[in-house]
Amino acid sequence: MAERYDAIVIGGGHNGLTTAAYLAKAGLKTVVLERRSILGGATLTEEAVPGFKFSVASYLVSLLRPQVIRELDLAKHGLQMAPSVGTYTPHWDGYLDRRTDHADNLREIRKWSHRDADNYDDFKQTVTDITRFIRPAIDLPAPDPYGDPMEWLAYAGLAKEFGRLPLRTKGALLDLITGSAYDFLRRWFESDPLIGTMSASGIIGTFLGIKSPGTGMVFLHHYFGEIDGSFREWALPQGGTGAVAAAIAGAARAAGAEIRTDAPVKQVLLDGDRAVGVVLESGEEIKGATVVSAADARHTFLDMLPANSLPGEFETAIRNFKFRGSSAKVNFALDGLPTFSAAPPGVGHLMGTVSISPSPDYMERAYDDAKHGHPSRRPFLDMLIPTLVDPTMAPPGKHVATAFVQYAPHKLAPEHGGWDNIKEQFGDLVVDTISEFAPDFRDKIVGRQVMTPLDLERTIGLTEGNIFQGEILVQQMAFNRPVSGWSRYRTPIRDYWLASSSAHPGGGIMAAPGRLAALEILKSKGAAR
Amino acid sequence: MSDDVQRAPAKGKRGRRASTGPKAYDAVVLGGGHNGLVAAAYLARAGMSVLLLEARDELGGMALTAEIDGVRAPMLAHTVGRFRPRIARDLGLAGSVRLIEPETRVFAPHPTDGTAITLWRDADKTAAGLSRRPNGAKTAAGYLKLDGRLRRIGAYFEQVLDGVPPSLDGGKSVAELLAGFAYRSPFTKLAEGDGREILRMLPMSAADLVGEYLDDEHLLALLSWRGAIYNAVGPMTPGTGATLLFDGITGDGADGGAAGQTVVAIGGPGAIAQALADAARGFGAEIRTNAKVVAITERDGRVTGVALASGEEIVAPYVLSTLDPKTTLLGLLGVEATGPELRRRLRATRSTGVTAKLNLLLDRLPDFPAAGSGPSAQALLRGRIAILGSVLGIERAFDASKYGEMSETPVVEALIPTLIDPSLAPDKRHILSAVVQYAPSDLKGGWTEAARRQLADRAVAVLESVAPGIGNRIAARQLITPADLERDWGASGGHAMHVNEGFDQFAQWRPLYGIGRYEGPLDGLYLSGAGTHPGGGVTGAPGANAAERLIKHLRRADD
Repeated sequence: MAERYDAIVIGGGHNGLTTAAYLAKAGLKTVVLERRSILGGATLTEEAVPGFKFSVASYLVSLLRPQVIRELDLAKHGLQMAPSVGTYTPHWDGYLDRRTDHADNLREIRKWSHRDADNYDDFKQTVTDITRFIRPAIDLPAPDPYGDPMEWLAYAGLAKEFGRLPLRTKGALLDLITGSAYDFLRRWFESDPLIGTMSASGIIGTFLGIKSPGTGMVFLHHYFGEIDGSFREWALPQGGTGAVAAAIAGAARAAGAEIRTDAPVKQVLLDGDRAVGVVLESGEEIKGATVVSAADARHTFLDMLPANSLPGEFETAIRNFKFRGSSAKVNFALDGLPTFSAAPPGVGHLMGTVSISPSPDYMERAYDDAKHGHPSRRPFLDMLIPTLVDPTMAPPGKHVATAFVQYAPHKLAPEHGGWDNIKEQFGDLVVDTISEFAPDFRDKIVGRQVMTPLDLERTIGLTEGNIFQGEILVQQMAFNRPVSGWSRYRTPIRDYWLASSSAHPGGGIMAAPGRLAALEILKSKGAAR
Repeated sequence: MSDDVQRAPAKGKRGRRASTGPKAYDAVVLGGGHNGLVAAAYLARAGMSVLLLEARDELGGMALTAEIDGVRAPMLAHTVGRFRPRIARDLGLAGSVRLIEPETRVFAPHPTDGTAITLWRDADKTAAGLSRRPNGAKTAAGYLKLDGRLRRIGAYFEQVLDGVPPSLDGGKSVAELLAGFAYRSPFTKLAEGDGREILRMLPMSAADLVGEYLDDEHLLALLSWRGAIYNAVGPMTPGTGATLLFDGITGDGADGGAAGQTVVAIGGPGAIAQALADAARGFGAEIRTNAKVVAITERDGRVTGVALASGEEIVAPYVLSTLDPKTTLLGLLGVEATGPELRRRLRATRSTGVTAKLNLLLDRLPDFPAAGSGPSAQALLRGRIAILGSVLGIERAFDASKYGEMSETPVVEALIPTLIDPSLAPDKRHILSAVVQYAPSDLKGGWTEAARRQLADRAVAVLESVAPGIGNRIAARQLITPADLERDWGASGGHAMHVNEGFDQFAQWRPLYGIGRYEGPLDGLYLSGAGTHPGGGVTGAPGANAAERLIKHLRRADD
């Protein structure tokens, strides 16, 4: 008979590993069970083309909580991050290249619109004020509208501060929470490449267009990552995003957690209304006082629990939780850097993000296609060439490029015959899209990996290929994530907890759900003692 | 109503001034639509001297009865189901406005497959009909469940239509803030499950919301269309859930539910405007038509009156505008009065109209094969007639409008008011009054004669798909595009609801946070009309709420 654990964590992605690290640090005998033979979930580095390493799924870090980095001492466990700076937007009539130097950026923007350049500082200040105000919320569990008043105590300061915010900040915050990224940006800007590119933050991973209300919220979610003093900072982990998972795993192991790969969980074992362990696909039973799922809400509640173990209303609510993956990832092995037709001299513009988002209409039409069940004929791309920052990802002189592609709707119109049928055709479309602005791109390709939403679902276990384990929609955030009344990591099954991005504050390489869930679990144990 | 409200204002302070110099009033109301008339009546009833100014030569705004070759037709708005009974009571309209609510709420013939859905006042009767559709038992059960939910939530919204949306600023905790947002008192009366659902559903899309209850493609389109009608959104646009929930108001004479209301005024919507004008005059308000206001005058951040196109100036310490917010704040006030920040936010407020109105004079009632024939067919046709097939079909129609194009196949929601109110037509002729969407005000190439003809032809083609031969019965047609609404009714962007409806321009942030509680950015300026809470439709609520806010302010000032 296997030994008994204090805590069993299902899923070895960055959130599961984070939970395990915190629980183990608190002295709990903890085991992580990962279905795949590799850790990381969607924070994954793989050598998909021999000699070339890719951040297969997620590709940038900005939201990783500083508390997690500090409390788990991730630097000691090998995490190194280099800033990924700048956004280069090629356009049919030129380009927009924004990097670190403020005056340079204003000059670039002024090429397109004087008004936009004049308004840029005011925009930055407004967004900075908003994120500064709201950021504390991502490090607190969400309070429930019908919950214990004590839950609200932590938010009292935030509410008071809201009353004190200047009207312009309050107004802008409400505009963002209720409106579209496009309408928000339009208050300051008018030029196509600037609005097109900035609005992309409002649609990443979401099945909405830049003009859809609700994308302001997604925009805000992406700007959370700003580190005090700098504006919307992103970073590339050395060794790809898999290095983040590896560092957290190192911290978990150092704290005494056991980590098992190739250990797919078949079902959570219940004793009455409480979880008492899991049974693996192999038939092995593992007992534990607490079971934590870092899988998404659908796997957690509909796939891993015995039928009829949940209250009917809760189960309906989980079925109504929207996933709707909308993005794909195409990774390229290159034997040289591509040359963009309209670009400044040097390679500086390729050091950060290359954004194919030349105009708001381009972006919105990409969504229109997806709404009707088609991959975008002209998709939005967010491309990185990490080898310019981290040469270890490819053989000397060679490069890797990773392209986040939207829209690639998980649910295709029937005429496409499913994703496996059009996968390579879709990869070609991405090559064509990049080649439209960098004609020699196609000649530099020596290998490629296409990850359709279906691949993300099958390989990594992301339901419907949604990168955030549930859409970032206003109605699926805070106290509604994943279900109203159950936003604080507990579930209707006693001793069964949710620690994935399906819980508050949602997805991205934040590790916030994993950390907050662990803290809530520890609090409940303390209370029980 | 309280005695306080009826109390005469303090003497001298706001009484009529001596008639030297420009004419002076206690308050000037801008716009003679139903909201302006309601506001003028409430202010006059409270004892104020009130002048209402209407730029057009007739009162009513968008609530008009027009005459086409001797037959009376609802020129723009054609249903008036949400008109607030409490306003009718306060203003003593009981005898002068008569409303009819047909038993058929909606008759929805499918544009291609020959079937039809009928939504009745009686939800059980609707469910009985739905249960005969493929997979009907599930659909009928889902419909009843949704109807119940919408009625319970609608009863909550019925209570928040009146009054000023609460401030978000006063709360000492987020709980209070949320409670303020949700209007604590009616909210706490809701069952917890409904309360939680409101907080989840407001930002949703109507299609997602309805889709959680049923998946019958035609019914899903029909019900979620209610979140999109009159607005530059599709049923998949987030925030249309708020519009749908709000449209479901139930209680005090209103009865929304899943079917939505179908109510017409005897004599057409103009009859309501007429009754309101009579009431306002009866309370002592002065009303002038052909009086276009070109500026709101101000000094040191305080309103001093208005200037007319004729050059005349009118002095008043209070101006209550029921014009759309962009006209009021960007058109009638200068940048020094409103400031660059507010102007920037207002300019980005969504107010592109996408709804055209097509009125057809028919020499006889057309046949709708899906309705059958004889009196039972006529009963079905007394409801709204909605022609749409699927959510994606509506979305396709919407997509065109985002790029300045009209829908190839517009969504048409028609009403044949002459079937409900035969007094409109002196003979056997009928009016078919149709909402046609999507036809953007900023049409590429402009609204030329050819473009107008094309839109009318496309709408008639949609009608032909469910009423073959209707084209041959048309004796006259009248088309009002959003561009006409902008030019002839003065609505910026040509939006029938002044600014887009939905969760992003809602409650205390309609039209914008900071000016969503009827008080404008200047002392003495009050905002009202469809661009303020609770939005468009012939409710009278924005007019009454704004007037009451002003009256309350005066009462406080007297203390």
